[in-house]
Amino acid sequence: MSTCPPYAPFFGFAGVASAMVFSTVGAAFGTSKAGIGIAGLGQFKPELIMKSLIPVVMSGIIAVYGLVVSVLIAGGLKPTDYSLYAGFIHLGAGLACGFTGLAAGYAIGFVGDSCVRAYVYESRVFVSMVLILIFGEVLGLYGLIVALIMNSRASGPVTCT
Amino acid sequence: MSQTSDQGGVLLKLILFTAALAIAPLSSYFLSQQYLWNGNSTYAAITAIVAANAVFVAYIFVSLREERKLTRTTPKGDVKETKKTK
Repeated sequence: MSTCPPYAPFFGFAGVASAMVFSTVGAAFGTSKAGIGIAGLGQFKPELIMKSLIPVVMSGIIAVYGLVVSVLIAGGLKPTDYSLYAGFIHLGAGLACGFTGLAAGYAIGFVGDSCVRAYVYESRVFVSMVLILIFGEVLGLYGLIVALIMNSRASGPVTCT
Repeated sequence: MSQTSDQGGVLLKLILFTAALAIAPLSSYFLSQQYLWNGNSTYAAITAIVAANAVFVAYIFVSLREERKLTRTTPKGDVKETKKTK
């Protein structure tokens, strides 16, 4: 059993793909769900549309988190001298960022939809909407931090037996 | 009609912010990795995240200022015929 088997990069690439794919699924869900509410708000108060697009921008940032982690992991992949340890680290980092992005996008979607609809009738809902959305956004940020910490342990001198 | 000219300004701002959200993190990642952090990719990733959140904060400020400008320019007596008043 060698430390650097030839199938080790499979896990590294799976980490890259999962970081991008799952965080994008979360961001797409958040964008679409919030967009439904914005379409409802736009019928009654079209001047509030630019403020109510904040959930959509936050969903975009969730996708940016996944993109940054993908680029980060992909920068550390090597065709040779790539240990299985590094492959598993990269897979874990990608999954951490991806699934937390999925969770954050899910939260942003539901909160954005209902708060934007309530904003038509009560303008003081705006501040609480931004607060709840920020709390949902930092879920994706936690996954990004864990992915960064894991990825920093993957680099280093490797001795392939 | 003033509605379409308002929409033109808003659309341009949204397009600019979308482009900024797409371009700023990636460019700051690669540029800071090369010129600021001597190849350390973790610090470059943190720089990219700070750039993305800076674009987001700028968007909040612009949207708040836009709403304040709109409520100041429309006088109280001017009721626009929206779906509610029809």
